[in-house]
Amino acid sequence: MRDADTVLANVRRGMLPAHIYNDDEVFAAERERLFTRAWVFVAHESEIPQVGDYVVRKVMDNSFIISRDQSGEIHAMFNMCLHRGMQVCRAEQGNASHFRCPYHGWSYRNDGQLAGLPFHKEAYGGEEGFARKQQRLIPAPNVDTYNGLIFVSLDPDAPSLPDYLGDFAFYLDYYTKQSPSGVEVLGPQRWRIKANWKIGAENFAGDMYHTPHTHTSVVEIGLFREPKAAKRKEGCTYWAGRGGGTTYKLPPGTLEERLRYVGYPDEMIERMKEQWSQDQLDVIGRDGFMVSAASVFPNLSLVHNWPKVAEGGDADDDAVLPFISLRQWQPIGPGETEVLSWFVVDKEAPEEFKKLSYKAYVMCFGSSGMFEQDDVENWVSLTTTAGGTMARDLLLHGRMGLLEDDSPVVEPLKPDQFAGPGEARVGYAEHNQRALMNEWADHLDGGVRA
Amino acid sequence: MSTYVPIRSDASPLGQDAPTTEAVGPSLAFDDPRHLLAHRWLVEETYVLDRQEYDDWLALLADDIHYFMPIRVTTAAGAGYDTARRMAHFDEDRYSLGRRVARFQTEHAWTEDPPSRIRHHLSNVRTFATRVDDELVVESAVLLFRSRGDVNEPSLVSAGRTDLLRRTGDRWLLARRHIAVDESVLRTQNLAIFL
Repeated sequence: MRDADTVLANVRRGMLPAHIYNDDEVFAAERERLFTRAWVFVAHESEIPQVGDYVVRKVMDNSFIISRDQSGEIHAMFNMCLHRGMQVCRAEQGNASHFRCPYHGWSYRNDGQLAGLPFHKEAYGGEEGFARKQQRLIPAPNVDTYNGLIFVSLDPDAPSLPDYLGDFAFYLDYYTKQSPSGVEVLGPQRWRIKANWKIGAENFAGDMYHTPHTHTSVVEIGLFREPKAAKRKEGCTYWAGRGGGTTYKLPPGTLEERLRYVGYPDEMIERMKEQWSQDQLDVIGRDGFMVSAASVFPNLSLVHNWPKVAEGGDADDDAVLPFISLRQWQPIGPGETEVLSWFVVDKEAPEEFKKLSYKAYVMCFGSSGMFEQDDVENWVSLTTTAGGTMARDLLLHGRMGLLEDDSPVVEPLKPDQFAGPGEARVGYAEHNQRALMNEWADHLDGGVRA
Repeated sequence: MSTYVPIRSDASPLGQDAPTTEAVGPSLAFDDPRHLLAHRWLVEETYVLDRQEYDDWLALLADDIHYFMPIRVTTAAGAGYDTARRMAHFDEDRYSLGRRVARFQTEHAWTEDPPSRIRHHLSNVRTFATRVDDELVVESAVLLFRSRGDVNEPSLVSAGRTDLLRRTGDRWLLARRHIAVDESVLRTQNLAIFL
């Protein structure tokens, strides 16, 4: 990567060389140094609920079969036959006890072990000559789950997933653990955009500043009342462990009133009260913040909004309903990303809630979502321009929230103002984008902290 | 062995109240007045969509419209399904389609400012009678060409559609549209368009 030291030093002080959003060498470095190490989300357990269920997902450009074997255990196996390298599974999802390579007919159990190969005895000398039992599709070097979210790391020496996520797990619970049963994850919608993968991750991590402007139209049509400019800046951003996100400030009220305000029915609120820690409840009930968008380094993002899902009343009435989405920014090339976007809903939610939450999701996010449409237009345009040679000399200004001498414009919230871990600040700033890009620089540098 | 799996509104959590009228018998002869009427309706609609005259398009929709485009997934032959469970690209009723159109009409729908140049290429139209005199099922293929900006690579969306047209007074309205998109991964930046 050209001028790597200068590029990384600039990134670390919040000045972003524009070409990092569309550059072959930068992308090659990300491929070799970042995606071979970081924990990357691949699937949720609820996508493969039954024995034999599988989905095929990628970590960067590596195809993995994520399967549930006959004993219910989850595996992530490199989707490449040990013999001549054919993909042993070419479907995106399904249910199978075995995967048979279409090339020469080697077959593997859904836990990866080689089960059979034609003419084993004649061609290989049987078990004596070639022991099947010791052969298996290459397992991902590291697999672990949190709240059913399955992550893979290609680094055998990666820190454990809990260590990697760190205190961000506290915030993941809002999205993925609203009851003891956890969530079900539906989808994904998949589509490709001519934009660099980092832009979405940064945006979801902390860009409250774009909301009132980019998404003016959804306020104007009465779909979502919150993103008015003056209101959006009352929220706080937080960064904890390897993730961070944005929040909205809720109107005064009790925990229950505030959860009702965003559209949760009482029975779900009761389960949240049982499920979440006092600190998790205090962020909402005492401090008045409700999580919205968030990102986990490198390329997993989440969003929680509460639009109006049906006709009736005016734009400021209370007929809103929350939805949650999980999405991955899958890098395809320096200027292209595949978006995988899932709808997430609490398993114990009432059927009517699930239905309307799904409706809210499809209207707002994903391939046809009215929020998402405007975001992508911006990101494509940015990426195109970043491919030019001039972009090498342009340092984009990513220092919002910092004064010239690096001291913050706004001090972090104190523990009696914000009960969550990490560092949280009210208002518009780019602390989170810098935190994310610092992780990026650390990974590209090789100096990854445990 | 057929690989065809029909799309059904009741596969959608929002499709429980959708019209259920189905095609009966073979397709109508191409000189059948009902086919001519349905074909003309679809051709006229493509002009409305290409010109992005979305108020006029909304006026072509029945109040109980179910506009449904499930996600296609690659599954093994014989799996018996090729759409994702309970998830879709579009799963719309009159309210949500109305919001989408209203948004395009604000001054802040950046994704279509400047607007895309779009062309719906319509073909393979065939019409079926139903058990209801005033309802016809129409199948068609549509290839959407979409160009944005000056030199951006254009995108294509190919789909099969199965529509239910219903006579309401002296007009025919779209009461149900099932869209079988032909890619599992869409190669267009968003669906700020209608098929």
